[in-house]
Amino acid sequence: MNITFRGGVHPKGRKELSRNATLHRFDPPPGEMVFPLAQHIGKPAKAIVKKNDPVLVGQKLAEADGFVSACVISSCSGTVKAVEKRRTIAGIMSECVVVENDGQYTPIAGLGQRQETVGITNQDILDRVRNAGIVGLGGAGFPTHVKLAPKAPDQIRYLIANGAECEPYLTCNDQLMRSHASGIVEGLELTLQLFDNAECVIGIEDNKPEAIAAMRQAISGKRRMRVLPLHTKYPQGGERSLIRVIAGVDFPVSMLPADVGCIVLNVGTAYAIGRAVAWNEPLFEHVLTVTGEAVQTPSNFIARDGTTFAQLLEACGGVKAGVTPKKALSGGPMMGVAVASLDVPIQKNTNALTLLADDRVEKAEAEMTACLHCGRCSTICPNGLVPALMADAINMKNWERYETKLYGLECIACGSCTYICPARRPLTQMFKQTKAEILARKRAAQAGGKK
Amino acid sequence: MNQKLNLSAGPHVRDIWSTSFIMRMVLLALTPATVIGVITFGLHALWVILASVITAVLTELVFDKLTGKPDTWKDGSAAVTGLMLALTLSAETPLYAPVIGSIFAILVVKCAFGGLGKNFVNPALAARCFLLISFSNAMTVYGIDGVASATPCAELAAGRTVDITSMFLGSANGVIGGSILGLLVGGLALWAFDIIHGQICFSVLGGFTLFMALFGGQGFDPGFLAAHLCGGGVVLGAFFMATDYVTSPMSRLGQTFYGALIGVLGALFRIKGQSADSFSYSIIVANLFVPLIDTYIVDKPYAFRKRALKLRSGEAKKPLSQRIPKPVIALSVIALLSGLALSGVFSMTKSTIDEQKNAAAAAAYKTVLPEAESFASFSDKVEFLGGEVYGTGYGRVYIKDALVGKDAAGNVVGYAVSVTSAEGYDGNVTLSIGVNTEGVINGISFTELHETPGKGMLCGEPAFMDQFAGKAADKLKLGEDVDGITGVTITSKAVVNAVNAGLDFINTQLRGE
Repeated sequence: MNITFRGGVHPKGRKELSRNATLHRFDPPPGEMVFPLAQHIGKPAKAIVKKNDPVLVGQKLAEADGFVSACVISSCSGTVKAVEKRRTIAGIMSECVVVENDGQYTPIAGLGQRQETVGITNQDILDRVRNAGIVGLGGAGFPTHVKLAPKAPDQIRYLIANGAECEPYLTCNDQLMRSHASGIVEGLELTLQLFDNAECVIGIEDNKPEAIAAMRQAISGKRRMRVLPLHTKYPQGGERSLIRVIAGVDFPVSMLPADVGCIVLNVGTAYAIGRAVAWNEPLFEHVLTVTGEAVQTPSNFIARDGTTFAQLLEACGGVKAGVTPKKALSGGPMMGVAVASLDVPIQKNTNALTLLADDRVEKAEAEMTACLHCGRCSTICPNGLVPALMADAINMKNWERYETKLYGLECIACGSCTYICPARRPLTQMFKQTKAEILARKRAAQAGGKK
Repeated sequence: MNQKLNLSAGPHVRDIWSTSFIMRMVLLALTPATVIGVITFGLHALWVILASVITAVLTELVFDKLTGKPDTWKDGSAAVTGLMLALTLSAETPLYAPVIGSIFAILVVKCAFGGLGKNFVNPALAARCFLLISFSNAMTVYGIDGVASATPCAELAAGRTVDITSMFLGSANGVIGGSILGLLVGGLALWAFDIIHGQICFSVLGGFTLFMALFGGQGFDPGFLAAHLCGGGVVLGAFFMATDYVTSPMSRLGQTFYGALIGVLGALFRIKGQSADSFSYSIIVANLFVPLIDTYIVDKPYAFRKRALKLRSGEAKKPLSQRIPKPVIALSVIALLSGLALSGVFSMTKSTIDEQKNAAAAAAYKTVLPEAESFASFSDKVEFLGGEVYGTGYGRVYIKDALVGKDAAGNVVGYAVSVTSAEGYDGNVTLSIGVNTEGVINGISFTELHETPGKGMLCGEPAFMDQFAGKAADKLKLGEDVDGITGVTITSKAVVNAVNAGLDFINTQLRGE
């Protein structure tokens, strides 16, 4: 048994649907490609193109607005059709650059050309990462150039490459590690240059033996690098779970990984860093899994940003014959977000479309009973919280107890408690909402105090 | 793709374990003890169980229908309550008791407080206590196949030796769910599969054992402790009652505290209290503390605990998951305990209990023959009786010990015998009688008297006891030589019979030696 963190759950992996589907590139046919300006945490990017401007693959469509922001790169060639509000994955109308794709995919000059990386300065690396618009591809979409520039780079002890892929159904990172191991290692080596005292640990769940073997081979002979097989358990790929396992540190949510000497990068992000720094290729495409019981041929893609879910599903042979899709998720079933329509563009941090033939939540609502106080939620909480008591506090509107006695704001919304609850209580959902409400109240109080 | 897609907040998958799944697992875990109970106590035990379970489920069904609540009777929790109640009852209980008990448990304790998850005490135990108070006579008849006798727990409270092996296997007299082996198999399985919290059941057992050892009066005597652990629902309580989710705390620390509280209270009630039902009461009392415990004792997140993993330069520690898996531990424990029980190792400990009792007896001899400086034993004469009922016309009396008392010069000053009558109102009555060389009774002293307070216990008062001193008859008559206590005929009679048997034994066997 490989090493792991406390708590956690074992949802059905269902990775067999797509784990052996090799990555293939998907170029959507001519038509609209939509690029939201807010694909990352932080301030939305500012569009630098206007209607009727011609664009090429790899060209910047929008510039980062401020430090915590990221630019947006075109994944196709054609002309800008509009800069307007469109519906995005989040289900809201959001400012987007719409490009009429000519289907030629004409690259911008110098795209994909090998760059000299021997003797490259740290500042150079950070600049190239920033100009490539790289954000965390694990899901949150935090701008990577911010993450790579902590206050004290020499105090970083671990550069953690996250290849755990603990989310059920998802297999695109598995495939990426199997087929692009050297590319990932290239990105990690360049990142490691930024942190003199760090060791790079590549954490991979032990349900991906081929990926572990491929990564081991790719790092052979490299200094300050090792592959660490991890026990298969959700949320093993959570930033905090990985740090707990690798650095052996428990830390509150008020602290960032860098505060405890760790930088965590998704393997996809590491690959993007390598491509951007060594190959002059900004982030406009990334790996993505289209899977689920309702998909004809579950597949792993290298997909261009701006492609719609509907186009990708079609490339998989569409909906499986005789199956009615009940629910479509952007991402996997634990952390994924249900989408109302498949005609939404994928963005940088979209890692999957999961089309479920069976909506477990619908049944769960029918099965819901009163809380038994069985304590299963508390046993499996990777942060050691007591979700049942937190839910009680919410029901009693006792925010004081929720926040100070129960440390409710420490919840990372991994969903494990909702998954495990035999009474089918929607715990995580309550905590997310409560956290947002408490933070909003605090902000309001602060704003009030300033006046 | 024109179908309507469902929208809801994630996560979008759920574990297979549901409330009813867990309830079914608990029912399954209770099955070994139930089956052993039915085999041991016969068919009537089965009727008690069925009456209890069916009434419990029907009560919830009727409540659901009448109040228009969702069908909660299907979730299996009512069946668990019914079965647990039945397992705490004697097989000889008249069937109205489990029926009334189940109705009380479900209707009053559970449904009236808001149904599943809202009751503040364990419904099965509340019902048991309700029955004990309301129908105390019917509830305290214990017996196997219609033959009534004292339970091991009552015997133990009376200071007598009990057969731990039969208690462990479940063939001893007592409640239906009395088989420690059956309960342990189920209970440890529940623990191994993470259905119950180890913190609770093991701190109950630990707290009980420790308190019993410290204040039970017999120290860390393994036979004594094992006998107490095997009797009076300690195991049933620790694994199935105390661990009831709804009425136990959420946090690890709280659970440990709660478990220890039950163990300590259970031992305290058993040592100091009158009733053999110490455990029912201790769990109910601890249940009442749970809201308080949950309010003030809450586990902190890992990052805020004292032993939180801190920044270290070295490698991460070996994880806990490399421990021995729980099922392996559970199986080993069951195998070990079964082996010990079957090989009769526990019976070795009998002699130490006897020694303790001899010390108590010696003090009693001193009381009834104060002139004697030393005692010489006539144990060969006692052994000659072979533990059979002594004489005729005294009822079930046994001569336990016989001594001759001598003064400092070695002259015989009198005789003392220890006699037990098994015909007390509540088990045995044991007393010592001292007779001087002229055949006049010096006095009597009880070494064992566990009768009803205010009634049978009055026999232990000087007003009754002092009547015997100075009497010189061969056979005393109740109402003539000795005035009985009004309303305490059974105990008075047992005492007089025991005294007469003792006098007869002294006159025929000891005098003239």
